[in-house]
Amino acid sequence: MTPDFIYTCAGSGLVGLALYRLATCSDMLLRVLSLNVLGAGIAVLFLALARDAGMTDAVPQAFVLTGIVVLVGVTGALLALAERIDGPHDE
Amino acid sequence: MSLAFDILLAVGIVIIAATALTTRDRITSVAGFVVIGLLVALSWVRLGAPDVALAEAAIGAGLTGALLLRSAGRLKPATRTTLSPSYRIIAALIATGLAGALVWVVYTLQGNSLYPALVSERLLESGVTNPVTAVLLNFRAFDTLLEIAVLFVALILIRIVAPPPPQPVATGELMLPFARIVVPMCAFLAGHLLWQGASEPGGAFQAGALLAGAMLVLILGGFAMPTPRLMYWANMIALSGLAVFALAALGTEALTGKLLLYPNGTAKIWILVIEAALTLSIAATLCLLFCGMPRRPLK
Repeated sequence: MTPDFIYTCAGSGLVGLALYRLATCSDMLLRVLSLNVLGAGIAVLFLALARDAGMTDAVPQAFVLTGIVVLVGVTGALLALAERIDGPHDE
Repeated sequence: MSLAFDILLAVGIVIIAATALTTRDRITSVAGFVVIGLLVALSWVRLGAPDVALAEAAIGAGLTGALLLRSAGRLKPATRTTLSPSYRIIAALIATGLAGALVWVVYTLQGNSLYPALVSERLLESGVTNPVTAVLLNFRAFDTLLEIAVLFVALILIRIVAPPPPQPVATGELMLPFARIVVPMCAFLAGHLLWQGASEPGGAFQAGALLAGAMLVLILGGFAMPTPRLMYWANMIALSGLAVFALAALGTEALTGKLLLYPNGTAKIWILVIEAALTLSIAATLCLLFCGMPRRPLK
């Protein structure tokens, strides 16, 4: 049992839970939330992989950082679209 | 001892995720999501990735949580659809199988990454000593340029869809003292993170997220009204990041013949200018993602 393995399990758990919810949930907010949990799970897997033999690997870390910023942009766009579908229509 | 902490943290993350994703109450879901974000950030500190942990705590947990909370009140709850139990069981089996396969694949992956040696070999030429900043703004600066372009696209989409701006509601007496401490602290910390990103964990994204958080405190507390003039300048600042980065790319192309290959010995200055512009731009972009942009009245 190494920290890498423990967090690999946690990341996979997050991915599994998020995928299950994405498949079974029709609530738009929860779907966007699941997508974010999926992103976090994948990032945990990436970083568990990046911690290799003492040397921290900067490239996967940079990928994950990029991913976090892209994900917040996607979340903002998705929620705006969801509100547009759901909200009062002014046309 | 630290192993016990790791196990406890990992189990906690999964349990809170299960709770957040299955509860019927939306506020509980979002609160659970923010807690997951913070715990995941903590786990990344344990995995030796403090730069990413800072970004996850500020952007992944903080600003995404704020976005979800905003929408939690606006989106209608979904009409309950009854899924057949067999569908649920199949979905659960596939998800469990996939998670298991992921553990197996990641754990049995053999071979060492080529990157750490390559990065440390060229780190001295990159102008900064934090390897993550070196990768983001020197070795793979093109990726970061495109990432800012993605934020720009999201901003255009917000502009087109135009969600209604948040209405500040009356806040308690403690809001003003809270803002008086938190907002200057955030501005100060953002400058600190930006500067120390060259050598220590930190950088433009973390600093920008902190600034955005401070702005949200001002807007939601009712201290800063999103007037058309303010929105205009927020738009300009949001666009300036991509503009500065693109100009830097063209400038380096003209000077060295390669896109984003900084001229010898000046990398630090290029990186600092780009990062400073990115910090302000990311702060404004994240703020606009939250606040939306009011529509121009139809003529």
